[in-house]
Amino acid sequence: MQRRDFLRAAAALAGLPLLSGCRQLLGWGLPIEVLRPGMADGHRLRDSAALPPPRSERRVDTVIVGSGVAGLFAGWRLAREGYRDFVLLNGPEPDGNAAAGAFDGWRYPTGAHYLPLPSPESGHVRELLAEMGVIEAGGDSLRPTFDERVLVHAPDERLWRDGQWQDGLLPRGLGADDDAQQRRFLLHVKQLQQQHGADGRRVFTVPTALASTDPAWRALDGQSFAAWLAAHGYTAPGLLWYLDYCCRDDYGSTLAHTSAWAGLHYFAARGGQAANAADGAVLTWPDGLNPLLRHMRVRIGAERQLPGAAWRIQMQGRQVQVDYVDAGGAQRLLARRVIVATPLHVAWHLLPQLAGLGFSRAHLPPRAPWLVGNVLLDRFPKEPATSPLAWDNVVYGSASLGYVVATHQLIRAALPERTVFTTYHALAADDPATARQWLAGASADELFGQAMQDLYTVYGARLRRQLLAARLTVRAHAMASPQPGFLANAGLAALRAADGPILFAHADLSGLSLFEEAAWWGDVAARRVLG
Amino acid sequence: MRDRLLILSVFVVASCGLAYELIAGALASYLLGDSVLQFSSIIGCYLFAMGVGSHLSQYVKDERVLDTFIEIELLVALLGGLSASSLFAVFAWSGESFRLTLYALVFLTGAMVGMEIPLVMRALNQRQQRFAELVSRVLTFDYLGALAVSLLFPIVLAPRLGLARSALLFGLSNVAVALWTCRVFRGELLRPTLQYLRSLLVLLVLGGGFIAADELTHWNEKAIYGDDVIHAETTPYQRLVLTRWKGDLRLYINGNLQFSSRDEHRYHEALVHPVLAKLPWARRVLILGGGDGLAAREVLKYPNVREVTLVDLDPAMTGLFARSAPLVALNGGALRNPRLRVVNDDAARWLERNGDVFDAIIVDFPDPSSFALGKLYSVPLYRLLSRHLADNGLAVVQSTSPYHAPRSYWSINATLRAAGLATTPYHAYVPSFGEWGFIIAAHRPGYTPPQAYRVPLTFLDREATRQMFFFPPDMRPWRVAPNQLNDQRLVHYFEQDWSQVIR
Repeated sequence: MQRRDFLRAAAALAGLPLLSGCRQLLGWGLPIEVLRPGMADGHRLRDSAALPPPRSERRVDTVIVGSGVAGLFAGWRLAREGYRDFVLLNGPEPDGNAAAGAFDGWRYPTGAHYLPLPSPESGHVRELLAEMGVIEAGGDSLRPTFDERVLVHAPDERLWRDGQWQDGLLPRGLGADDDAQQRRFLLHVKQLQQQHGADGRRVFTVPTALASTDPAWRALDGQSFAAWLAAHGYTAPGLLWYLDYCCRDDYGSTLAHTSAWAGLHYFAARGGQAANAADGAVLTWPDGLNPLLRHMRVRIGAERQLPGAAWRIQMQGRQVQVDYVDAGGAQRLLARRVIVATPLHVAWHLLPQLAGLGFSRAHLPPRAPWLVGNVLLDRFPKEPATSPLAWDNVVYGSASLGYVVATHQLIRAALPERTVFTTYHALAADDPATARQWLAGASADELFGQAMQDLYTVYGARLRRQLLAARLTVRAHAMASPQPGFLANAGLAALRAADGPILFAHADLSGLSLFEEAAWWGDVAARRVLG
Repeated sequence: MRDRLLILSVFVVASCGLAYELIAGALASYLLGDSVLQFSSIIGCYLFAMGVGSHLSQYVKDERVLDTFIEIELLVALLGGLSASSLFAVFAWSGESFRLTLYALVFLTGAMVGMEIPLVMRALNQRQQRFAELVSRVLTFDYLGALAVSLLFPIVLAPRLGLARSALLFGLSNVAVALWTCRVFRGELLRPTLQYLRSLLVLLVLGGGFIAADELTHWNEKAIYGDDVIHAETTPYQRLVLTRWKGDLRLYINGNLQFSSRDEHRYHEALVHPVLAKLPWARRVLILGGGDGLAAREVLKYPNVREVTLVDLDPAMTGLFARSAPLVALNGGALRNPRLRVVNDDAARWLERNGDVFDAIIVDFPDPSSFALGKLYSVPLYRLLSRHLADNGLAVVQSTSPYHAPRSYWSINATLRAAGLATTPYHAYVPSFGEWGFIIAAHRPGYTPPQAYRVPLTFLDREATRQMFFFPPDMRPWRVAPNQLNDQRLVHYFEQDWSQVIR
């Protein structure tokens, strides 16, 4: 029996209906809402229920299926180039991994929450940021000037270790050997940032499509990051915890299950700079990356965005037929070209002919499950005078990923009266299937306990008294994890090259889940449509 | 008749018992916050202690029941009656032991109160009352007393008398019950005279306390501020304390001096007039911060100003400075002036949401002593500000001290420039603060200090103004970086600057 059930039963037995009203007063039974975006539609699609005949049929030049970063970026590009004959199917998970929510106007992310400063290779992202006014000047230069409201404000990061906070996320004070290895590693990846392959391209870039294909460097993908680190003498526990944290944070996988190429990519591919911020700064909004998506939606126009989830995409003569379901029932679109901007495990069920394109089930990238918690606090918790609340707060040694403060970027004369903390947890410890089973079966209390792990470590259980509401977002197939060998995935290569009536756009094509990658494939697909 | 009196005393005793519990709970939530926790834990502790008291009551010998009842009443009167005052004192003088004192006091009072009803019941039982009737009557009055106080306390007593006096009043009621019992049961007491004397003594102590309660509270705050406290208030945003010492009125916010009436005219004249004297056409003026109305007082000296908008977060602050007689005398009733509009909102949020444009903007924000406050001295905020500034308007920013905090001061100057504003730095000597700095910002360069003033001033004249804009060699500009939100150098500068100044 769960705590809440027990309390309810006890209240009923004691004949004290009032007690249930007091539960909140006593700190029990906080309103916990569990969101499972896309789960019901996705599983219905997987289980392949038959679709009734469509009630409407509409012809359009291009259909974009899915409204995550890739789909919206494709739509943004089309609209920006003056191309109007297209529609975008929102799908069951609007905004995908960049979705957001709000408690009474206090906005928060339910997915990705920051964007690193875009490197010169990420011209497509810079273009979007410049249009939004986030890049104020120098969009083509090495160091553009960014809107300071969006550059993460100080203090940006801190690490909780042994009951106190340290600045930054690299653990300090773990001994001379750890410090030396940390310095050596940072120097090592700094060199790799400038490393070029035999083809003259940088070895590590965002987007990965522009990276060197020199097999000598690609060989890194043959081993795990853990193995690579061991082979290079990186054994210090503090450094290894930090690198493991980074892999879980970006890829949802542990060191042992991350490709060495991807692990190094995390450190060596970024390198965007700003005229008005330190290197390594990031861009963030109260509701994570959602404002980028809202901007793209405005450019696309509300009239081109259709509610509804795709059900089947197939060739019908020279046209592509997209069957989908909305509140009115089954509908059909007939298009010259379709950009499939869904995750590939969804595309697998949408497109019966995927195998014909050289993509088999074995090519589906493994997907990491995530749990994102958002809690509304009635005031800011007490912080030690020497280490004020940072934007990103991480617990050393934790299997979770810490918490981010949604109100951090607000400029206010006094502390905002409320705040939202967003906790992140990648279920990387178990294999994804086991983790998904747990997520599917766990009660709201169990999920809440998991989501609150780091907050309770830092503030103690008394923090519960400050919570007004909690919303948990279960993303059981959140992102592709770049396991060793992911670069050699021939199925992905086939979809990346597809330039027929059916095009693909998703971060999955890169095998790792980054905004820049998703946007890149959206851009590529849109440019193919534009010709 | 005697039995009825005893039953009536149950009513009083029950009222007092609940009152002490409520007072302790209210006081703890007031001083420590988190009212749910405070009330829950205090009620729990109190009820448990009452159980302990009831248990102990069996050890009172039958012949001593009435004597003990009187003694308990007096003890409750002292403990409960002085509870609020003594807890305030402990909080003011030694914060650490507050919780311990609180719970010890609650436990002792609870234990004493727990003994009262069992003793009364035994006293009545000795008088051959029928048991069923006895229990029914005692408990009826017990609960009635609780009801009376639970309504009286929040509606009448706490708001009218305050916590310290309410507690003393209930203590006096306990003494009254004791005196009354002494009188009515004189013959049955073992040592009636002694009990009488004791009761009178406690009456004297509590009565004196009741009269001196205000003094006591002031004395506690004086321990903190050094001067006489004439007003103290905890608002949802800050603690406001107003002190007076020989005509010098001072305002402290969260313990930091905001102004002294001796020299605030220097600060506020320097803040306002170099801008307004240059804008004879100014009609609309915006003041950010400055809920004391002192900057507004200076602004309102100009008849050309038609509309002053003052944005200050705390309605308690602007309310206090609009009502309290000595403060209204100080700010010349500025906050009640029909030309002035008070907006109680966060100034930065208001700037984001409001689209009005002003001829002059006076920015009087707190010093950049934390990352949160440092954001008020940033390029985005100054850009926002410049969007509210008329094309030929002027803004002035309180900018810390160019003498004591040169890095901070010149960093604020650099930040204003980075936001695309033309700046003119200046400074004035304010004895309470030391050498203090301000910066005038405009859309275009070319500001020159005023040569004369059209309004009556005490500090500024032509020569004083000239000196304000002159920076002697020991106050020359420092080469420092603007404050970028990404690293908030200003907050580090400010810390660095003041760590080198002994104040």
